[in-house]
Formats: sequence, C-alpha cells, structure tokens
Amino acid sequence: MLGSFRLSMTWLHTWFGLVLGFVLMVVFFFGSLSVFDREIDRWATPSSRFEPQPMPSYDAMLAPLFAQLTPEADELAAAQARLGRPLEASLPVKNYGAYTTHRDPVLELYAEFAVDNPEDPDDHVHGHVTIDPRSGEVLPHELKLGSEFFYPMHLGLHLDWHFIGYYLVGFAALVMLVALVSGVVVHRKLWRELFTFRPGKNLQRSSLDLHNLTGVLALPFHFMFPLTGLIIFAGLHFPVTDTMYEPLARAYEQGEVRAKGLPVAPAGIPAELASVDAMVAVAKQRWRARGMPGQVGYLTVTHVGDANSYVSIFRAGSDRVTLVGQGVHFSGVSGELLHEEPPAPAAASVKDFLVGLHLQHFEHWLLRWLYVLGGLSGCVCIGTGLVFFVNKRKHQHARRGVSGARWVDALAVTAITGMLVATLAILVANRLLPAELEQRGEWEKRSFWLTWALSLSHACWRSAPVRRAELSPAWREQCWAIAGLGSAAVLLNWLTTGDHLLDTLAAGYWPVAGFDLVLLATAGIAAATARKLGKRARDPSARLASHAPAALDDAEPEAAHG
Amino acid sequence: MSVLATLERAKRPSPTRVQLVARVAGALLGSYAFGWGFIALGVAGGSRLMPFGEAQTLAELLVFLVLVACLCWAFAVRSVALVWGVLAGAGALMTLAGWLLSGKAV
Repeated sequence: MLGSFRLSMTWLHTWFGLVLGFVLMVVFFFGSLSVFDREIDRWATPSSRFEPQPMPSYDAMLAPLFAQLTPEADELAAAQARLGRPLEASLPVKNYGAYTTHRDPVLELYAEFAVDNPEDPDDHVHGHVTIDPRSGEVLPHELKLGSEFFYPMHLGLHLDWHFIGYYLVGFAALVMLVALVSGVVVHRKLWRELFTFRPGKNLQRSSLDLHNLTGVLALPFHFMFPLTGLIIFAGLHFPVTDTMYEPLARAYEQGEVRAKGLPVAPAGIPAELASVDAMVAVAKQRWRARGMPGQVGYLTVTHVGDANSYVSIFRAGSDRVTLVGQGVHFSGVSGELLHEEPPAPAAASVKDFLVGLHLQHFEHWLLRWLYVLGGLSGCVCIGTGLVFFVNKRKHQHARRGVSGARWVDALAVTAITGMLVATLAILVANRLLPAELEQRGEWEKRSFWLTWALSLSHACWRSAPVRRAELSPAWREQCWAIAGLGSAAVLLNWLTTGDHLLDTLAAGYWPVAGFDLVLLATAGIAAATARKLGKRARDPSARLASHAPAALDDAEPEAAHG
Repeated sequence: MSVLATLERAKRPSPTRVQLVARVAGALLGSYAFGWGFIALGVAGGSRLMPFGEAQTLAELLVFLVLVACLCWAFAVRSVALVWGVLAGAGALMTLAGWLLSGKAV
C-alpha cells in the first residue's frame, strides 16, 4: 500500500493497534483476572470462604434441590417478550445440570424449563441456585464478582445486545494476531529487543523499548491466546454450518446422537430416575479402567422425569491441559450404561488441546501464575503501544496545534489507569454495600461503570497539557486513586469479614490472602508510579528528558514504528 | 533485506482518504468473505474425506490463520482493486464451490 512492505505493515500495526488497542487492553486485563476468577469470588463472597468440595451425592443432596428450582424472573420476562404472550404458570422441566472444578467450594445447579415456542422447539428458560455442598444449604443469590462479572467482561465486554461485545472481542483478537505478525515485520532485530530497555531515556524511547520487550518476550503466549480464543468462538464468528449447511449439520448431529444410543426426544411417558450415585460410581470405574481416574466435573440429566431420560457424567479436567470430558452416559430409568465416549479423532483432539490451553482447568498453581504474568505482559505491551503513539506525535501535534494526541492520551488514561480504578471501585462497593440491599449485584455493577465513566471525564478534563506536549496530570492522579482504592479494599475486607492478612496467611487460605497481597502490591506500585510522575512534573531536567524531540530517534531503525 | 531495501526506495505517494477507506473496507469485508468461503469449501470438501464434524473442526482451526494472512496481504499489495477482487472474489467462488459440492454430497 505504501510502496514498501515494511511501511505498509507499520501502518497496519499502528492504526489497527490503536483503534482496537483499547478493547485489547480490557480483554487482556480481565482475562488475566479470570485466571483466578474463582478465587476473586471467594474474596467477594465471604460466606463461600472454605475449601473446594467434590461433587456431592445426587440421590441424597442434589435431587431434592433440583426439584425446588424455578425459572428466573428476568428470563421469564424475556421469554414473554420473545413470544408476545404470557407463559403458563408452571413450565415443564427439560434438563438439569451441576458443574464444579477443583477450585470451587460452592456448587451451582441449573435447570432448563421448556417454553412452548412453535418457531424454536428448543426454546427454554433457566433457573439456577448456588449451594454449600457440605450441608446442601441454598446460598443467597449474590453477584460472583470473578466468574460472573470479570470473566464475561473478558469474553464479551458485557455488551450482550446481539452478541455485539463477542464480535468486537473476536475482531480485537484477530487484530492482536495481525499486530503481532506486522510488529515482527516492523522490528527486524527481534533478538536485540529482548535485552533492550532504557528506562532512563525519554518517554518515547523507553515506552517503545518496553513495548518491544514484552511483545517479543511473551510472543508465543500473546499469539496463542487470541488464536485459541477465536477458535473457541469460531462457530459464532463463522456460522457456516448453522446457516448454509444447516440441514447437513443437523443430520450429522442426530446421527452422532443415535450412534451413541442416546434418545433425541422425550418419550412423553413419566418415569422415575434410577440412582445417579450408582452411575457416578460406574463412571469413575470406567475412567480408572482407561488409566485416567478422576472426579466428576459436570453432571447432566436430559429429558428429566421421562422414560427417555438419560444421565451424562463428565470428568473434571484437573490433571491435564487437554479439555476432554470423557463423558459416560446412562439410561436414567434403568441406570444401564448407554455410551462411553471414545477418544476424540485427530482434529477434535487438537481443538480439545487448544481449548484446554486457553481455559486452563488443570491444577497447577505455578502455571496459573505464569498465565497471569503472560496476560499482564500483554497489557504492558498494548499499554506502552498506546503511550508510544501519543508520545511520538505530541510534539508535532503541539507545533501544528492539533489535538489528536490529546484525546488518544485521555482514552489511554481511561483504558489503563481508569480500568484499574473501576475494578477496584467494584471491589470496594462489594465490601461497602449493605447485604440486605435490593439488587445488590446491580449496584456493584453500576459502581464499576460509573467509576469508569468518571475516570474518562477526569482524563479528558485534565488532558489540556498534552496540547503543549506535556504529561497529563490525570495519569498521576488516577495512580493515586488506584493506591487509595487498593488499600481501602484490603482494609474493608478486614473490617467487614475479620479476615486480615495475618489470619489468612497463617491459615494458608490463599484465595483471600493472595488477592489481598495482589491488591496491596497494586496499590504500592501505583503509589510509587504516582510519586515518580509527580517528581517528573516538578523537576525541570526530567521534564526536558520527556520532551526530547522525536527526531532524536530517527537514526534508529525501530523509529519507523508507528 | 536487500529486497526490502529496494522496495523501500520505490516510495509512492500516500493513498488518498477514499483509497484508504476502500482498502480498509476491502481488507475487512474481503477477508471475512474469504474466511467464510474457506470454511464452506473446507467443510464440503473435507467431509468427503473425513466425518462432517472433523472437517468442520479442521476448517475452524485453520481459518483464523488464513484471516491473518489475508489481512496482512490486503495492506501489502499495491492495488485496492486487487484486494477486493481476490479476497471477495475468491471468497464468493469458494462459497459457491462448497455449496455445489455439498449439494452433490446429500
């Protein structure tokens, strides 16, 4: 496009990276948090601070709890709107499911209730409940901050309307891959980037060093995560088999189900469910016989209460990367084994491995932390890219009197420090809002979005100095906000639950101790950064360094960047 | 390196705004069409060699790497018309070929 391959790739890297960089920042950051989503749930829901539990007895504990499940009010309202008529007073139940991992103390149960919709025979609404599997006690509905707010943010930005957030995240992931490939073309001396970081040089130089260093150092990680994330949602982005090949795909799926000997539809004859505990015992025996003993991760009952009901038992993937369920299926009425899933064929095994690599169900705490470090290094790479964009242009923009750099800088403040401020604000709100507050979870979410909006306004309001090619004070001020809110969250955890760090550390309760430590470290780093920025703003010689004209670097090949 | 250097010497005037919009649109829509065609043809062709589900999985594993190549190529190539022609054109052709293949398969 621009006469040379390298210049064209630079253009692609710069402009696509800039526009989607803000989304990527969010996806990488909340993805990093999602690695410990269950642990964040423990911090935010003090009643669930106990050790992870195995799947409890279905016959003794889960069966009566499933029977009490009712559809969620908001899903009923949505179904009524969808159908344009009121629903029957009680909807027939279709399926039950229970899901747990080696990190879950509490257990979530769900039921699917059939909705009579002639246009969609599979139409249904959900009911769900969280229980304490030690006692069978039903826990109050609370927002699970890690797994129900941070994790969906990573997947779809909470923009649920027509899956628009999922498409945006998918496009951003593709741009990340393109940015990596074009970035490698832009920076030819990959090996040298690994050992180059000059923090003492001007901001433009050191931000580019850090951008290259993190980009190259974690290149395989940065490539695999967007790619595997896209592969997980391939069917959403390219619904080829759901549209033009729909009849073919439907026929194939039904053939698969028939080959397994599983009933596709209910018989319409009521029937009692046999002992599920006995089926679990058989499933565990089958897994042992295949040399992969394990615990139950996911258990479903399909066509509940019908003569065609069947029970599917899937293995928790705690001991391997590949996400295989090794499903074993039983007749719900007779309890006899209907089908044991064989090892997946070639392409499906590759996919199982890649999906497992992304979703990390395995039990390995060191690897888990490396995932967080990889994700955060992605944030550093994207963040320094944004900072570099501004600092490369601000002198030129200041001379020409245009304000492009100013607004990009304000958005970068919002996407970097503002995102942290909002994340800490929801944690503080989680500890401060009264337990009996109606729709407490909604208020927590509002505190997040409101704080983020405030940080955007603040970043715009304080951005005027960028027009004079100076540093926006918003960076420093939001760093102070991070330091304050981070410390406040730790303090509030102590005041509202009594679990202070000395206690949780002594007890070795890492979900809470670890998160408190991360919060304190975040607060400490933010305070140190704010002080340094303050010093730079006051000290004229430091200011000079950050004002070094862009031309200084033109002799170096990387300066072609952006 | 020398090839790059030669290319770099042959600098051309920056594209106009219209050219830029046409290229970005061609790159995005064309790549999507190409990806769609890749899966359509991959599933229809592949399912003659392997089960339908395997063909679909294989196409879905590869398509995003294909898209990365499409997008990079769309910005490297000289002519905007070529971007539209090759990406959207091949996408449409592959979709059609897949459709015909699958029709015979039924």
